[in-house]
Parts: sequence; structure tokens; C-alpha cells
Amino acid sequence: MSEPAVYGVLALFPSAENLLTAIPKLKAGGYSEIDAYTPYPVHGLDEALDLPKSKLGILVFLMGAFGALGAFGLAWWTNAINYPLLMGGKPYNSWPAWIPVTLEGAIFFGTFTAGLGMLILFNKLPYFGHPVLGSEAMPDIMRDKFALLLKKPTDSPFDPDAAAKALRAAGGDAVEVLPEPIHEKPGAAWWARTIAAIAAACLVAAAGTVGAIKIFPTIPPMVNMENQPRLDPEMPDSFFADDRGMRMPPDGTVPRGDMPILSDSPQSGGRSLINPLPISARVLERGRHMFDLHCAVCHDRLGTGKPWLGSGYQAQPADLQSSTLRSVPDGYIYWVISQGYGPMPAHAADISPDDRWAIVRYIRALQRSQDAPEQDVRWHAIGGRKE
Amino acid sequence: MTRKSWILQTLAAIGAAGVVAVYFLEGAPRFWANWILWFVFLACVALGSLFLVALQHITGSIWSVPLRRVPERVSALTLWIIPVAIIALFSLPVVFSWTQPGADKITPLVLKAAWLNYPFFIARLAVCVAFWVMSYYLLVGRSMRQDITKNASVTVSLQRYSPVFMILLALSLTSFAFDWISSLEAAWYSDIFGVYLFAGAVTSALATTLLVTVFLRRRGRLPAVTGDHLYNLGGLLFGFTIFWGYIAFSQYLLQWYADLPEEVFWFQQRTSGPMKPVFMLLLIGHFFVPFLALMTRKAKKNERRLVWVSIWVLFMEFVDLFWLISPILGRGLHLGWPELAFALFFLSAGFLVLKRAMSAGEDMPVGDPFLNAGLRFHLQ
Repeated sequence: MSEPAVYGVLALFPSAENLLTAIPKLKAGGYSEIDAYTPYPVHGLDEALDLPKSKLGILVFLMGAFGALGAFGLAWWTNAINYPLLMGGKPYNSWPAWIPVTLEGAIFFGTFTAGLGMLILFNKLPYFGHPVLGSEAMPDIMRDKFALLLKKPTDSPFDPDAAAKALRAAGGDAVEVLPEPIHEKPGAAWWARTIAAIAAACLVAAAGTVGAIKIFPTIPPMVNMENQPRLDPEMPDSFFADDRGMRMPPDGTVPRGDMPILSDSPQSGGRSLINPLPISARVLERGRHMFDLHCAVCHDRLGTGKPWLGSGYQAQPADLQSSTLRSVPDGYIYWVISQGYGPMPAHAADISPDDRWAIVRYIRALQRSQDAPEQDVRWHAIGGRKE
Repeated sequence: MTRKSWILQTLAAIGAAGVVAVYFLEGAPRFWANWILWFVFLACVALGSLFLVALQHITGSIWSVPLRRVPERVSALTLWIIPVAIIALFSLPVVFSWTQPGADKITPLVLKAAWLNYPFFIARLAVCVAFWVMSYYLLVGRSMRQDITKNASVTVSLQRYSPVFMILLALSLTSFAFDWISSLEAAWYSDIFGVYLFAGAVTSALATTLLVTVFLRRRGRLPAVTGDHLYNLGGLLFGFTIFWGYIAFSQYLLQWYADLPEEVFWFQQRTSGPMKPVFMLLLIGHFFVPFLALMTRKAKKNERRLVWVSIWVLFMEFVDLFWLISPILGRGLHLGWPELAFALFFLSAGFLVLKRAMSAGEDMPVGDPFLNAGLRFHLQ
């Protein structure tokens, strides 16, 4: 077996002053890779060793800025763009309210970058050992001695004996040569053990979680407003004589905004009901939408009365393009939609009055589209301009 | 030295004439608004300096021992609070909303009547000022005498008194802030306002300390004070700038979010219309400028940078008080020759006081047993 490779040469110094005076001497001797190990921070050591400025500062700044922008962006995007919520009459993008979370985002990312960056950049985290930790001098370094290490450069020759001599000449003693740590590649057994350990940890955690849910299934973590002394719809309640929680409204009650149809036939409806909606693109668009949803399935999208459902439905739906239905007033169609006619069910519960009137407007447009007078066609042909 | 005193005295005399002219030419409210502004400014610098002195005793910090004489001397301004406060009492019937006729019909003012009435108000001021002056003699006078006696036990008893002083300063400064600024518009509520004024007081005291330290150092009177000492002062100024921003924003955010009419009118007067540029200047100038200017390690060691930031911070403290007080005069930007006259008078008079204070005691607390350790202080 050959000599283990050399990592560097370590020497102990009795005081911080000795350490600081030794560094320039060693530098003059041509040693550039010097590292110091001390029991406490020593003033002037960074300058003496020419340590480069730490990169951690700029890293923390960048990640802090990222955290600030990220937190602000998240608050802004969720509250103002993706799911706009009106809070207390403030604008959607109420940015003063995002400032605390922005500050916390910056601090969170900044501190985690500082902590993890220190562990990874300087303590080289996945690397669990350091040659100096295994040295004879380590107990002294942790107590009251100061150590200098001459590291073996990667690209130039290094004579450990000469380095030891230089360290002694600079005032060091207890010189020792540190071997390069042996890095073993983990084998199949190591991987198997590691994976088994992770799997076991997952299993234990999962079993614990399931057990906890099984044992304590009914303990709610928070009971904010879940339990309220209140009666929900359809709930029984012995307080009232009929054992029902729901109350009937007093006789003669009408819902707000309700306009009951008082006429009892389509003909009288046609005489008494007047379409309140204007003829506008918006009304017609709404009418088309509601017609296609509720009417077209039986009456066809053009109102011809040829149902999409085929003949399975026994009755023949009305042909809205017939001359009879062309000549009835708006109120007639409105009455039929609301109350039903023959096999056609009433739609008052499904379609709001305004939507019913919009459907009537749209039916009128459909009728005109299938039986257009000549001037309509000409008007269309010249691009909608009046002659 | 005497020649410069003569110039300062002349400027103070011109300023005094201007101040009197304000009363007769621009009316009493304008005069009293400015008088209260400079009264509060004076109290901020003086009490902030006393706070810095007590802070050093309470933390037992050693690096600041060589610098302690600077805030000690600046806190000589405490004595001048007495005449300024007595004159300021005459403003009570003029500019305070709770003294105006009809105040007994406004609900929030009626609720506060137990606190805001002439006897209690004057008694509070008397107790606060008496406590401040007494603390000045206890904290600073004894430290000055220690220069001669070299009695180390004085340091111990100063360290014992400092916590008591801190607690009472917090209470007295809160009461002072509520009385002399909040109660100008007494319907307004803000519990944090005392802390807000405290944050401004400490930043302005730190800025004054930095300026005086650099001034004395350039004159060769503080040869042992190094850039590392200045670095720490810069760090404190940086920290208290953030503290001020934090407190100012906390006060703003809560009231902005709650949007209650009885609170938000106060901010509305100060953030819209002609006061909006002042508000923006305050936001950028009192927080972002010193925050960014002092952020790097190099900047806190840069003497020139520290001087300019300190002057700027003191100017911003003036802007802050102007922003707080001047809206009581009604809508508009009340900035003109009266403000200039007051600044001329109070600044030149303040410089005269500081100039005299600079010869009190030694330049460093030579009797303090920690002085030598403090002189050896240096950064990593």
C-alpha cells in the first residue's frame, strides 16, 4: 500500500499575535494556500490571509429580492388578477396591504439563503468530514491554541518536509502532516440501506398519520363557526307545532320584484303583457343564448318545430315560423313560455322574466330572418347602410 | 471661535426678529404651529441624546464609551426645553382643537376630556420636563464630574439608574407625543404615535451625534475615535431608520386598512392635495434614502457619506414634524418666510448652545473605567 496523499501541513501557535506575524513570513516563503483555525474570531485575520470577499452577501441580496418580488407578485396576481376580491371597498390591487408579506418574503428567502448558503458554500455540506477535524491538534484548537495550515496546491509541487520546516521557522510547533481524506464511492449495500431507511421512515410516518386519524377521527382542529344554533333548510325542529324548521310565508306574500301573470290564457296575455326590453344587440344575444339552452331542443334552433330529439317525444312542438305565431303579439309567446301550453311545460321557474322577454325578442328576429322582406335583404347586401 | 459666535449671535438675533414678526404679520396660528414644531424638534434631539447615553449604560457596551461625551454634551439642549415649553403653553387656546369653543359637543373630544384639560395637560408637561431635566443632571452631570473624581462607582450607579430612566422616558415621551402633536387634532386616535416620535427622536439624535463626532474628530479633538466607532454609529442610524420606517408603516397600514372616518381623515389631510409631495418626500427621504445610502459596509465607514446622510436625516425629521403639524393650519402648503425665520432662529440658537456645550468636561469620559477598552475597539 502506497503512502496516502498529503492534504496539507498543520502547526500550532501559542497566541493570535504569533499567528498574525507568521502569516506574512509564510507568504514570503511562497506558500499561497494558507488557512487558519482559531478558537475565537481573531481581528485582522481576514486581511492577513487575503480572504476574498464572501459571495454570500450578493447571493442573500438576490434571493431576498426574489422573495420580495415573489411574495408581492403572488399577492398581486391572486388578489388583483386571478381571483379579484373586493375587500372593504379598496381597489383590487391594494398594494399597501401586500407590503408586510413582501417584507416577510424577503426575510424568509434571505435568511434561508444565508443559512443554507453558509452550510453548502463554506461548510461544503454533503462533505461530512474535514482533515483538520481528525488531526491531533484539534482539541488544542478548540481550547486555546491557534493553527495554520499550509494546503497542498492542486497545480504545483508540494514538499511536506519543507512546509513543516517553514512552519517551525515561523514559530509553530506540534507540526503534523494531514493525509488527504479517503472518499469512498457508496456501494450497492449503502444505497440499499439508505433507500430502506427512507422507506421505513415514510412507512412509520404514514402509519402514524393513519393511526392518528383512526384514533382521533372526530376531533376537529378548529371549530370556528361550524357549530351554530341555527336551522338549515329541510331540518326538523320540535320548537314548532308541525315539527318543521322551515316556516311557510304568511298568506298573500309575494317575493320582491315578482310580477305574477294575472291573465289566464295566451290570448288575454297577448293583450295585456308588453315587452319591456329594448331591441338591442345585447338583448338579442341574451335571447339567442337562452333560446338555444331552453327552447331549441324541441323547437329547433330556427324555430321550425323539428325537434332534435326525434319522434320519441309524442307531441309535435309548435312551428314558430308558422303564420299564426308570426301574427300573435309578444305577450302571447311570453305567456306560453311562462305557463306552458298543452304538453309544453311551464318555464317560469327556470327562466327569469327578463330572459323570457329576451327570448321573445329573439324569436321575432328568427321569424324575420326566415321571411325577410326585400328591403331587409337589400339593406344587408349593401353592408347595413340605410338607403 | 469668538468671531463665529458673533456671527451666530447675529443670525439668532435676525431670526428672533423674524419670529416676532411672524406673530404680527402672519397671525398667531402660523406662529404657534412653527413654535410647537421646533419645541418638539428640540425635545427630540435632546431626549434622543439622553436615550443614547442611557442606552450605552444599560447595554454595558464598551465600544461607545469614547463617544459617550458627544450625546452627553448634545443633551445640554434639555435645559432649553424649559423656556421653550413655557412659551409653548400659550399656544393652548389658539391651535389645539380640544380648547376651541364647541369642543364639548364633539363626541371623541368629550370622551377625552378627562385627559385633555388645562390643569392636567400643564401638570403632565411640568412633570415630564422636570423628569427630563433631573435625568440630565443625574446621567450627564455625574458623568462630567467623574472626569475629575475618576470614581468608578459612578459608572455602576449610572448603569443602575438607566433602566429606570428608560421606562419613565418611554412613558413621558408617549405622553408628550400625544399631548403636543396628536391632541392638536384631538379627535384622531393612534396608540403607536409615541413610538413613532421616539423613532424620529433616536434617528435625529444619532445623526446629531455623528455630525458632532465627525466635527470634533476633524478638529483633532477625538483622535482616538476610529472609523470603526463611526461604523457602529452608522449601523445604529441604519437600524433606527428601518425602525422608523417600520413604525411609520405600521401606523399607516392599520388606519388605511380599517378606513374608519374618525381616524382616516388625519391621513387624508396629509397624503392628498398640497401635502402629497411632502408625504412622498417623507416616504422616500426619511426611509429609502438613508436605508439605501447606508446599506453597504463601505458606506458606514465612509465619513463623508455619514455626514451627508446625517444632515439629510435631520432635515427629514424637520419635514416629518412639518408634515405632522402644519396641516392644522388648514388646506395648503404652509411653507414660506415664517418657516425660514424660525429655522434661522432655532438653528443658530441651537448651534450657540451646542458650541458652549462642547467645552463642558473633557472630550471623552476620562473617568470611565471602560474608556481604554472602548478605545481598543475595532471591527473584525
